[in-house]
Amino acid sequence: MEATERFVRGKGRYVGDIELPGTLHLAIIRSKYARARLLRVEGGISGRDLSAVIPDVGEGARGESWKIKQPVFATGQVNYLGQPVAAVYADNKYLAEDLMDSVDVSYEPMQPVLDEQEAMTAEPIHPGLNSNVATDQFIGKDFEEKDAEVVLDDAFKIGRIATDPIETRGILVNYDGSRLNVWVSTQAMFSIRNGLCATLGLPITSVRVMQADTGGAFGSKSAMYPEYAIAAFVSMKTRRPVKWLESRKEHLTASRPGRGVSGSMKLFAKRDGTVIGLKGEIIVNGGAYLDGLARFSPMFIGMQLTGPYAIRNGYIRAISVVTNTPPLGPYRGAGRPEAAFFRERMMDLLADELKLDPAEIRIKNATDQVFTNPFGMRIIGSRQFMTEAFDSLEYYKLAREPNGRRGVGISCFVLVPALMEGESCKLKVDNGRIKAWLGGNSHGQAHEVFVRKLIGSTLDVSTGVVDVQPGDTDMITSGVGVWGSRSAIVAGYATVLASQTLKEKVVKTKGLYTPEYLLAGNYEAEVLNEKFDDPSLNSFGANLVTVDVDELGEVTVEECRSYYDVGNALNREMVKGQIAGGMAQGISSVLYEGLIFSKDGTLLTDSIASAGVPPARELPHFVTGITEHPSSLPHGAKGVGEAPTIGVPPALVRAIEKATGVRIRNIPIHPEVLIGPKK
Amino acid sequence: MKISVNVNGRNVDADVEPRKLLVDFIRDDLHLTGTHVGCDTSSCGACTVLLDGVAVKSCTMFAVQANNRNITTIEGLSKGDELHRLQSAFIEEGGLQCGYCTPGMIMTSAWLLSNNAAPTEEEIRNGISGNLCRCTGYDSIIRSIQKASSDRRGGRK
Repeated sequence: MEATERFVRGKGRYVGDIELPGTLHLAIIRSKYARARLLRVEGGISGRDLSAVIPDVGEGARGESWKIKQPVFATGQVNYLGQPVAAVYADNKYLAEDLMDSVDVSYEPMQPVLDEQEAMTAEPIHPGLNSNVATDQFIGKDFEEKDAEVVLDDAFKIGRIATDPIETRGILVNYDGSRLNVWVSTQAMFSIRNGLCATLGLPITSVRVMQADTGGAFGSKSAMYPEYAIAAFVSMKTRRPVKWLESRKEHLTASRPGRGVSGSMKLFAKRDGTVIGLKGEIIVNGGAYLDGLARFSPMFIGMQLTGPYAIRNGYIRAISVVTNTPPLGPYRGAGRPEAAFFRERMMDLLADELKLDPAEIRIKNATDQVFTNPFGMRIIGSRQFMTEAFDSLEYYKLAREPNGRRGVGISCFVLVPALMEGESCKLKVDNGRIKAWLGGNSHGQAHEVFVRKLIGSTLDVSTGVVDVQPGDTDMITSGVGVWGSRSAIVAGYATVLASQTLKEKVVKTKGLYTPEYLLAGNYEAEVLNEKFDDPSLNSFGANLVTVDVDELGEVTVEECRSYYDVGNALNREMVKGQIAGGMAQGISSVLYEGLIFSKDGTLLTDSIASAGVPPARELPHFVTGITEHPSSLPHGAKGVGEAPTIGVPPALVRAIEKATGVRIRNIPIHPEVLIGPKK
Repeated sequence: MKISVNVNGRNVDADVEPRKLLVDFIRDDLHLTGTHVGCDTSSCGACTVLLDGVAVKSCTMFAVQANNRNITTIEGLSKGDELHRLQSAFIEEGGLQCGYCTPGMIMTSAWLLSNNAAPTEEEIRNGISGNLCRCTGYDSIIRSIQKASSDRRGGRK
């Protein structure tokens, strides 16, 4: 049965739905404070029973974790609200929750450091550190400022956001006496396998990870987490299956949130609108423990600051700091939206300063040919795309309409997909059917659709003979994961290459290829392709948003339109579905969402509603425009998943600014700043 | 406590703890795992079922409160192999991505259409605003519900 049919019938098999006899249910006792000395932990299992640290795996992993490692259980000191302190287990979740009261924890609260700017000068949160600054590097090259006729500076802040998939995290572990069998809701089964092995000191061969149906992720489900190690530890200790399902309240502090960045920008330009350089400083709130993604994030944001524009000079200080907040993770876009927000805000400021049209100033700074930016990133010519985009979005028509308290905003960006480490595909022909396994599998993107299509077209067989299998680390040698707008590109390419390998094998045995020879035989091919270095895989996008803002500061989004180059769309409806869903997240990241802590570190947004996940009545109808300029790969794919969370926020913020006359520097926007007559 | 409920047309007698939530009774005792849990504040609607034909969030009720009542879960909406028109419409219009909110969304939609055979877009937006979807941006869900409503008006299924 197709995945979509299973889902509408209620026959999905998410991790919470998998039942094994004798399963124990795990409950986690978590820190009540953002920062405190941990004086006593009595009862349950805790750091005395399991002393281990979380390795750097998953999206953005850099191999080695930072010098301060995240423990599975806090000992000595707790460093963020929700940090695991102890765990209990029982035959069902009600009894496990009852048992939580049997664990006695005493704390001595300390003043937390919550904000990235505050962290720069605050006393170090971790004993033994001299400073909260974890990484501090300059990228690009310093440059002379004397040619500039216009110099503009401004400072911005993007708050933390929870990823909030409707299915929270969850894991089921069954230790069978020799191996750990793991079912998990994840974007990256190999990261979870490697993470469990590293945390618990197990050989790779002793862990099998099977990806359950995964109910969304948006970045938070690729990392290794303490609860996974605890579940495995308890299963090994009790020789029983152990299940842990995250509550929503837990999700809001125990799963890695995204964003949390300050940026100050200085833009140098000529009076004709040509931008000649950009200087600035990026400070990323890495949370209490920094993995590779958190440490690389300020550089990743920095190198994308020129976006689709031919800005020749750039010099950026890129800083990551530790704070008493949950460890930073990726959230849809993961650095790309931050860079676009800072840059597009400055382009709008320049347009206002020079009294030029925002579209005109963007086209003026576009390129006609391949351009290498001051940070080494290559993009292809963007001018033609931008010209088409503003027409297609009907910008000129909408901008001319009388505005009152209405406003129109546009944005442009280049989506840099995460292609590093490639992806794998294994195909096996048997009994007239083709089984396919991927190294990274769907959590809502319907990989099976493009896999079947690419196998069908490459091998000239009906898509009906292809069975796409669930993710299973025992069934394929290696793999990476699903994030960074990568799957259509890397998993698609791996699928094409594996199909071509099958073809070659048929030719070798039969002298020529026919689909009949293929399906009559037994063939197998597995491919991990790793090398991607082609600026045609970066794709351009533009958004247009119109809003109406009333005097109470209530923003109504009227139009939200995209014009994205998606390469060869492997399935147009699914591409458009990705865009609409991403545009919703782009809007809510500006207007509704946010993780807000009080000064003492208490989470004020502790439900999915207060954290701002919007219902249908708060969102507009989306216009999902695409254009298809194929990439250089045989299947022509480019990325799309993150485009809307990159492009929508700056366009929306500009529209609000035009409607209200209030310069917007911080997102999410608190409505009180918009109250009152137009300025 | 002993309770007697009719679930998807089948009578069930059970002995449940008074504190057990209806959603846990449905999932853990009846093994009907199409009804999901997505939050702990009755905000997301993933646990929506019909109670005597009315959409309720099964995480806001105790199982004992369903005594002597009729429950329809997502598993009871189709007739064997034949999908309910809402289920077909969600597939045809791409009204789902990860699928996790889908059963609750479809149950709420069934209740919406039982009260209003031809809702406007605004009525649909309001009607499903107790159910959260993080993947679709809702447009494709609204199209799915519109399609199911026009299928019925057109006399199909």
